[in-house]
Order: sequence, then structure tokens, then C-alpha cells
Amino acid sequence: MTVDTTIGGARKGYDRVEVPAPGGGTRSLTRKQFESLPLRERVGFLIEGTAQFFLDGRPISASDAMRV
Amino acid sequence: MSVARKALEMTKAATEAIVQRAETRYEAHRQEILRTTDRMFAGLMIGQWIFAIFIALTFSPYGWQGKVKAIHMHVWIAVFLGAAITSLPVALAWFRPGELLTRHVIAAGQMLWSALLIHLTGGRIETHFHVFGSLAFLAFYRDWPVLLTGTVVVATEHLIRGILWPESVYGIPNPEWWRFLEHAFWVVFCISILIPSCRRGLRDMRVMAERGAELEALSENQWRTSSVVDRAAAETRGDR
Repeated sequence: MTVDTTIGGARKGYDRVEVPAPGGGTRSLTRKQFESLPLRERVGFLIEGTAQFFLDGRPISASDAMRV
Repeated sequence: MSVARKALEMTKAATEAIVQRAETRYEAHRQEILRTTDRMFAGLMIGQWIFAIFIALTFSPYGWQGKVKAIHMHVWIAVFLGAAITSLPVALAWFRPGELLTRHVIAAGQMLWSALLIHLTGGRIETHFHVFGSLAFLAFYRDWPVLLTGTVVVATEHLIRGILWPESVYGIPNPEWWRFLEHAFWVVFCISILIPSCRRGLRDMRVMAERGAELEALSENQWRTSSVVDRAAAETRGDR
């Protein structure tokens, strides 16, 4: 996994996330859409490590994504 | 049980535990705010009682009789009616803090205090500011129905007293019949801002609790990953 912890010298969290889709494959969500998911679902993705976070189109680690 | 199934069950159990802890944190935070606000109002009510007696002793004789200062019946009204208004909210705040009934009784009591202070000052318009201050204090609960209780009590009180004894509430004996509507309008104006603010406050508390859950989940994932790495390293070394 490519991890970029600093983008533009400042930590910004994430703006997009890919999570497993119910029928297989992945679905792309904006931050707002991800935060609107039920907490149980979000927690499940984070425990399993199946959520891939992005900032400005570049993948970032979950721990960096959760900073802001 | 297969390893994959066991892992799935562990994930489910960890998810449930984390979500439950988030809910507990949110409820604990909310209860803390409710109890703290109950205690604040208990102190405020007692302070208002003392203030009302002071007003009755100093201001009411002039406010109601003009020139002559004398011991006034309002002193007794402040003492006994003030005690009646104060006693139930303070008792509930003391014995049942954080409960739904407590904050609604406090809201009603606080508005009755506004009414009493307005009466003691002879319907002085400036004392009506107490209503708006009280609504702002009630918003500390972040429980918007409490504001509705306060609004209904103060509007009803203004309507009834405006009909039966207008001088007591408006300071003049013959105000326009619709004067209570004007007062009610400003109260509604005030709560129309406070209600969304209460809802936003609760939403922020929820976000904080969920943020904590997300960080816990992340930590759980990192612990699991490191456990897998540790096990793989041990197997590579040939440890048992």
C-alpha cells in the first residue's frame, strides 16, 4: 500500500474512501458519504482494514486519514 | 471452526463492543451536561429567590405605589410564591438530576420566575429581558423540547395575566389586546435560533463519540495486524 502522510506540508485527513461493495468489488464514497454510513459499518471497515482512504487522489493510510 | 469464520466472529464482537462504548460515551457526556445544567439552575433559582426578596423590599414599593416607600405585600409574595416556584425545581435537581421531568419542571419554574420578577417590578419592560436570558440558559441543556415548555409557560402566563391583571405584566392598565402576541413573537424568534443550536450541539457530541469509536477500530486493526506479523515472524524463526 502506498502511504503518503504529508501532502502539501499539511495533514488534511481524507476526501474520498473506497470500501467493499455488498455485491463484490468496491464503491467509492466522498468523506461526507462515508461519515453518513452507520457507525457499525464504518467501524467494521476500519477493523478489517478494508477501507482505502484517499486525499487529492492519492492513497493515504487509515491512521493519517483519521487524524483530521 | 475455520480461521476465516473465527476472524469474522471476532470482528463482529469487536465492532459491537466499540459501537456500544461509543454509545455509552455519548450518553455519559449528555448526562453530564444535563446534570450540570440542573445543578446550575438549582443555584440560579435560589439566587433569584434572594434577588426577588431584595427587589420586593427595595423596588416594588416605588414600582407599584409611586412615591411612598412602605412594607409591601410583595415582600410576602416574593418570599412565599418565590419559595413555591423554587422548591420543586430545586428538589428535583437535587434528588433526580439528569431526568427528563426535572429539566421540564425547571423550564416551567424559570419562566414563572420571569413572571414573578416582572410582577415585582410593576410590569417593567426591562425585566422582560429575564425571559430571554432564561431561554438562553435553558439552551445549555441542548434538549430543544425544554425550550418549547418554557415558551408555552411564558406565553400562557402572559396571556392569562394580560387579561386578568395587565398592569402586572405590561406596567399599564389597558394595553392592546394583542400585546401578548408581540411578546410571544420575540420569544419564538429567540427559540427559532436556539433550537437549531441545541440540535447542532447534540450532533457535535455524537460526532465526537463516533470519532472515538473510529480511532478505537483503527487501533484494533493495528493490533491485529501486528499480531499477524508477530505470528508470521515467530513461525519463520521456528518458534512454537
